[in-house]
Amino acid sequence: MTSAASAANQQLAAGWRPRLPSRLFLRFLGRRLAALVLLGLGITFVAFVLTELVPGDPAAANLGQRAIGDPEAVRAFREHYGLDKPLPVQYAVYLQHLAAGDLGESEQSHRPVRTDLAEYVPATAELAVTSILIAFALGIALGVLAAVRRNRLTDQVLRVLSLGGISMPTFWLALVALYVFFFQLGWVPGSGRLDPGVLPAPHVTGLYTVDALIAGQIDVLGNALQHLILPACVLAAYNVGLLTRFVRSAVLEVINNDYVMAARAKGLPERTVILRHVLRAALPPIITVGGLAFANVMTGTVLVESIFSWPGIGQYAFHSATTLDLPAIMGVSLFVAVVYIAVNFAVDVLYGVVDPRIRVA
Amino acid sequence: MIAASKARRSVLASSVLVAFAVFTACSGGTSTTTTNHVLVVDKSFDMKTADPQREFEVSGGIVAKALYSTLLTFKGADSATPVPAVASSYKASSDAKTFTFTLRNDIKFGDGTKLTSADVLFSFNRLINIKGNPSFLLDGVTVAAPDDSTVVLTSKDPNPAIPFIIPNPALGIVNSKVVKAHGGTDQPGADKADQAESFLNSQSAGTGPYVLKAFSTTSEVDLEANPNYWGPKPFYNKVVIRNIQAPAQLVNIQKGKDEIALDLSPDQASTLSGSGSVQVNAIPGPNVFFLFSNNNPKISGITPNKHFQNAIRYGLDYSSFVQLAGAGAIQTPGLVPSMFLGALTQADAVKRDVAKAKAELAASGISNPTVNLGFPSDFTLNGISFSTLAQKVQANLQEVGIKVNLTGSPIAVSLAEYRAGKEQLGLWLWGPDYPDPNDYLVFLPGQLVGLRAGWAKGSDPSLEALGTQAASTTDNTQRGQLFQQIQRQLNTDGPFFPLIQPGQVVASSKGISGADYNPTWTIDVSGVSG
Repeated sequence: MTSAASAANQQLAAGWRPRLPSRLFLRFLGRRLAALVLLGLGITFVAFVLTELVPGDPAAANLGQRAIGDPEAVRAFREHYGLDKPLPVQYAVYLQHLAAGDLGESEQSHRPVRTDLAEYVPATAELAVTSILIAFALGIALGVLAAVRRNRLTDQVLRVLSLGGISMPTFWLALVALYVFFFQLGWVPGSGRLDPGVLPAPHVTGLYTVDALIAGQIDVLGNALQHLILPACVLAAYNVGLLTRFVRSAVLEVINNDYVMAARAKGLPERTVILRHVLRAALPPIITVGGLAFANVMTGTVLVESIFSWPGIGQYAFHSATTLDLPAIMGVSLFVAVVYIAVNFAVDVLYGVVDPRIRVA
Repeated sequence: MIAASKARRSVLASSVLVAFAVFTACSGGTSTTTTNHVLVVDKSFDMKTADPQREFEVSGGIVAKALYSTLLTFKGADSATPVPAVASSYKASSDAKTFTFTLRNDIKFGDGTKLTSADVLFSFNRLINIKGNPSFLLDGVTVAAPDDSTVVLTSKDPNPAIPFIIPNPALGIVNSKVVKAHGGTDQPGADKADQAESFLNSQSAGTGPYVLKAFSTTSEVDLEANPNYWGPKPFYNKVVIRNIQAPAQLVNIQKGKDEIALDLSPDQASTLSGSGSVQVNAIPGPNVFFLFSNNNPKISGITPNKHFQNAIRYGLDYSSFVQLAGAGAIQTPGLVPSMFLGALTQADAVKRDVAKAKAELAASGISNPTVNLGFPSDFTLNGISFSTLAQKVQANLQEVGIKVNLTGSPIAVSLAEYRAGKEQLGLWLWGPDYPDPNDYLVFLPGQLVGLRAGWAKGSDPSLEALGTQAASTTDNTQRGQLFQQIQRQLNTDGPFFPLIQPGQVVASSKGISGADYNPTWTIDVSGVSG
């Protein structure tokens, strides 16, 4: 280990808190925002071109079997959604509206895409955040446990289980979980975000648990948590497996380093050594994986949402794609881009927070 | 060593704590807030709107039926006899061009306004001028309201189907005063000017048995009994229609108390046969799955050949399609479904005859024909995947000597090809827009589906003349005979090959009655009791 790294680790161990220079940070933030704008433009352009290349017709996909035979109905549909204009004009109009924050109107829901996203994103976010919290809590704990008990029975069992978590198809796991925990054991309610007839608390964030908490509706909070836990656990299974393996490997890389041994030699309790010296030094790669896992969960929940009838962004994206609902496809694409950029940005910032070497660089 | 052991214990304790927290949350049990007076209907949503004049989807029809009253209706599963609803009676002119409805005078909207002919006039004209999916229902029809309790519909052409069209939930009557106040209009140009949809998605403005409490196109629709309803009070005070996929419906229906599942496939339904808590009703549904061979020589030099078409007709193993479709399915003997006026009987159904099919293929003069079959590869209805059906068609025709290339594509793409009349062979379905054989005249030359099969106007003058006669005949017995004659002729030398009517499964919790499937609105939740 280099002396610089060793010094940095000692700084970490001493509880040193780095502070990013504000000018550098603002420049970094500016670069990320510029990337977001460029990426957004690129995504809208690619989505427009690809939709034009698909040999389908949004009118045929959205109008009924009779209405499609009525030229007046087809004309009204095309005119309403601007499909009667050439593609470059459509694109220019879209960008013009986008600059004003207008994402257009969905052909499937007949509502502004912004309204749709505001409804569906919180549902997915609630599921994704819960799932990632479970994944981090279990993944880190089990990964450390496996590393501490390397090559012993606990380690071997955890390696098999984590491999299982990674290998099991999520849709299959969702169906089995629904069958076992809802149908057979009755531990959790079935589909949806709330029981039938239970109305959500007044909308503040769109996260039913948070809104119920704000409104002080404890019964709704309990109901929402019961509905949330099973799909969140299913969604977490893959990431628990992934993080367990990753944490184990990251911890093993640093657990026998000199500074760790020095910490032990000083007589620090093993818990302190593991949590403050070993785990913290192993955090950067874990943050990378965790960040990507979160982005994947935010944008890849379609199967779990479908099986648990969770009205989130995954289902919306699926319906948009199958009905060639261009404004909705564009809205979802932009959302995915924003999520990935935001997560990467957060990961970069966290690197600097947990590892001063990166800040120095 | 002691320190290491402590750390392990600590990590172990943390893991156990997290696992316990998860387990505790998992084992919370179901909520106690659900009441037994809530009817839960599980349906895979195709929902777009709760605006009756814009909806024409299966889920939307269930909602609109519950929220809005129509002039006429059907009782339970019946769709052969329109009965009075908002109209206490009606009269049809002998030429089937003029229909005069007399309204009840005791129906009030939620705001206390009396329902009058002005509301009917507004609703129907709004439907026409919005130019949406259901607007075709009143094609060529003008609406008049000579006084408060009379509505007159005048059709440009004879249209004996009008009494069968009127019960459609898209013709639900809205409170014209309220809808106008929220941006609604019934004037020409309503396709651009009408702004009432978002209001009607937030609250209903009808006189149906229920009122809208919450509406989402992706999660659920909540209904509450309408205290001002003019008809019999519904059994359930609350109805929740949830967007649930079929596999989850199968699980839910076995756990729920007052539940109905509408999307189970016959295979899934068969797994419920031993269940003591669920009752299953599987009947032939109104959707007709059919194959066609394109008559347009520009699309294919092979498929318009009449002998080639006969080779397909007699080469298909219809009984195997029925077997594949499972419980409730039947071979459809003609294009008009078995429950509608003018349907053929099973005795009229075409039977497989491989020798005859081979002889027809030989007579066609085409050796080793290869054709492409278009179909929606990602589409499943009534539990039947079009991809599986297409493979069966391919295998059947292979035995006759016809090579079929499967060129299915996602429905958004294949639908455009089909509707443009570009498929050589096509595997599709027709669902009824209203329960009358007039809806099936679209299969004739020059008509909507006829053109998709490359069958231009004037291709079969005798059949077209029969169609014109059937469309304008008012006597039902005579109409039925004419439609049978048309279908027999189609079965002899038309480019369409009707395959099956898949089973329509309605599964409900034991003790529930009145969950009758009706092709016009799928299910009337106000008629369900526990």
